[in-house]
Amino acid sequence: MSVTTNETVTRSGKSGPAPVGKPQRRGFFAAGQYIPYALLLPAIVVLVGVLAYPMFRLFDLSFQNVNRYAYLVNPSLAKYIGFDGYTNILGDHQFWEVVLRSIYFTAELVVLSLVLSMLIALLLNRVSNWARVTVITVMMFVWAIPALVNGQVFRWLFSSNGGVVDYLAFLVTGDESWKHYDWFADPSVGLYVVGASVIIWGALPFLVLGLYAALTQVPVELTEAARLDGASGFQVFRHVTIPVIRPFLMISAALSFIWDFQVFAQIYALRNASPEPGYWTIGTYLYMNGIVRSRYSESSVISIVMILMMLAVLVYYIRQMLKIGANER
Amino acid sequence: MTATTTHPSGPPLAPEAAKPKKQKKAKVRTIGRNPVMTGVWNTVAMGVALVMAFPIYWMILTTFKTNKDLISQDPTFWPSAFSFDSYKTIFDDKEFLPSLQNTLIITVGAMLLGLAVGFLAAVAVARFKFRGRSFFIVTMLVVQMVPLLAIIIPLFVVMNKAGMTGSLFGVILAYLVFTVPYVIWTLRSFIVNIPAELDEAAMVDGCTQWGAFFRVILPLTLPGLITTGVYSWIQAWNEFIVANTLLASSGAKTSMMWLTFYSTTPTRGADYGSQMAGGLLVSLPVIILFVFFQKKVSAGLTAGAVKG
Repeated sequence: MSVTTNETVTRSGKSGPAPVGKPQRRGFFAAGQYIPYALLLPAIVVLVGVLAYPMFRLFDLSFQNVNRYAYLVNPSLAKYIGFDGYTNILGDHQFWEVVLRSIYFTAELVVLSLVLSMLIALLLNRVSNWARVTVITVMMFVWAIPALVNGQVFRWLFSSNGGVVDYLAFLVTGDESWKHYDWFADPSVGLYVVGASVIIWGALPFLVLGLYAALTQVPVELTEAARLDGASGFQVFRHVTIPVIRPFLMISAALSFIWDFQVFAQIYALRNASPEPGYWTIGTYLYMNGIVRSRYSESSVISIVMILMMLAVLVYYIRQMLKIGANER
Repeated sequence: MTATTTHPSGPPLAPEAAKPKKQKKAKVRTIGRNPVMTGVWNTVAMGVALVMAFPIYWMILTTFKTNKDLISQDPTFWPSAFSFDSYKTIFDDKEFLPSLQNTLIITVGAMLLGLAVGFLAAVAVARFKFRGRSFFIVTMLVVQMVPLLAIIIPLFVVMNKAGMTGSLFGVILAYLVFTVPYVIWTLRSFIVNIPAELDEAAMVDGCTQWGAFFRVILPLTLPGLITTGVYSWIQAWNEFIVANTLLASSGAKTSMMWLTFYSTTPTRGADYGSQMAGGLLVSLPVIILFVFFQKKVSAGLTAGAVKG
C-alpha cells in the first residue's frame, strides 16, 4: 500500500502542478463519451422543469391578463394584451412609491449593516480572547434563527402592550407615555426603525464573522510599518486595511444589496402576515399582489422589473464569484 | 503611503516569523494597545454581545413566564416563577406535530434529492471535459441569483398544471430550484481537488470502478456533502413562501406556515408566551444543526450563498 501511494506522490510531483488540461478522463471515469451527459441529465431535467420552464412562463404571463379567476375558473378570459401589463404597472403611482421605498430602505440597510459590522469586526480585533469568543458565540446563535422567527420575536419586543422596548424606554426616560408607544402606528417608523433593526440584527452575524476573518488576513507587518511611518489609526485603516479586505467588502456589499432589496419574511412576520401598504417594499408588494390578491400577470411584470432593477449588482456579483472560482480551479 | 509600497513578500518572511513568535506577539501589544484600552474594548464588546443576545434571551424567557407575568404591564427581566404552560399549549395544538412531520418529510426529501442530483452533475462538471461545460458552470451560478420570490407565481402555475399543488412532493421538487444549483456549484470545487491519481491508484491496487468510487471518491467528497446537505436542510426548513403558495389549497402545513397561522389566529394573537415557544421549537432543529456544524456551514455560506 505504502509503496503505491509513494509512487503516486512522486509521479504527480514530476508531472508538474495541477493535472488540469489534458488528462480529464482518467481513473474511475475512463469510460465512454456519453458519461458526463448521463450524469448531468437528472440535474438538467429538474432545472428545466422547476426553473427554466417557469421562467419562460413568467415572461409569457407578463404579456397576459391572468388572475386567479381567469386562470382556474374561467380560462377563456385569459388573453394576450402585449405590453399593456407593463404600461399599467409602470404608470401606477403606487408601484413607484414602492420602488422608491425599497431603494431608501435597501440603502439604509446596506449602509448601516456594513458600517456596524465593520465596527464590530474591528472591535473583535482588539479585545481579549474570551470577549471575542463570547461575541462570536452569540453571533452564531443569532445567525441560526430563521428569518420568519426573527420578525416574530421583534414584533413581541416592540409590542405596544407589554413590549420590553417600550418598557426600557420608560426606564431610561422615566416618561410614562413610552409604556404604550405604538412603534407600528406610523409605517415609516415601523419600517425604517423596527423593520431595519430586525433585518440588520439578522444580517450582522454573517457580515461580522466574514469581515473579522478578512481582517485577520491583513498582514501585521503592513499596519506596523504604516504606524512607524507616522500614520494615524484612521489612516492605517483607510490606506492599509481597506485595500486588503476590499474584495470581501465588495462581495458582501453586493450580497447585502441582493438580500435586502428582496426582503420579505422579516417584514411579513413583523406585521403578523398582513403588512399595511406603508410597509410594502418590492418583495412584500410582489407577494401581496401575486399571492394574496392573486393577480398573476401583474405580479409577473413586477417580478421582471424587480430582476431588471437588481441586474447591475447581480452581474457584478456573478463576475466576482467567477473570478474567485477561476482562481480556485 | 510608503508603507503600502514596502509590500512584505510572504514566503521569505515565513520561516523567520515562525521562530520568535512569542516575542513578536509581545511587540504587537506594545504598539497602540495597552491593558486599559483592552479593558475598555472588552466592555464595549460585552455591550455588543448583550444587545445581540437580548432578543434571544427575551424569546426564551417569555416561553417560561407564567400567565400573570405575561399580562403584567411592566415586563420582568426574570420570571417570578417558571412555568411550562406555553409549551403545553403548543403541544396541545392539533396542527403542531403534523406540520413538524410535513416539514421533516419535505426537508429530508429536498436535501437527499438535491444532493443526489447535484452530486452526479458536480462529478460530471469536475471530472469531465465536454462541450458546454463552462456554460453549465456559469449557468449554475447565475441561476442561484434568481430571487425565489420572482418565480413563485409561474412555479405555482406550472405545478398546478402538473397536478402537484397540495402535495408534499411538489414542494420537494420546487425546493430543488435552490438546492441543486448550490450543491453543484459547491461540490464541484470539492471534487476538483481530489486528484484523479487517487482513484487510478485504487484501481491499480485491484479496486473495481465502483470500488474506487465508493472507497475513494465518495469518502473524500463527504465533507462537501455534509456542508451542502446542512445548507440545504436549513434553507428547506426555513422556507415559507413556496410552501405556503403550493400547499395553500390543501390542508397540509409546514412548520413555518403553522407558525404564521398560529400567530394570526385571533385567540392566539396576543399570547406571546406560546408564540415564542412555538417559534423556538420550530427553529430548534435548525439552531442545533447550525451550531453543531458551525464551521462548515459558515464556510459554505460565504462560498456561494445567495439566498438569504
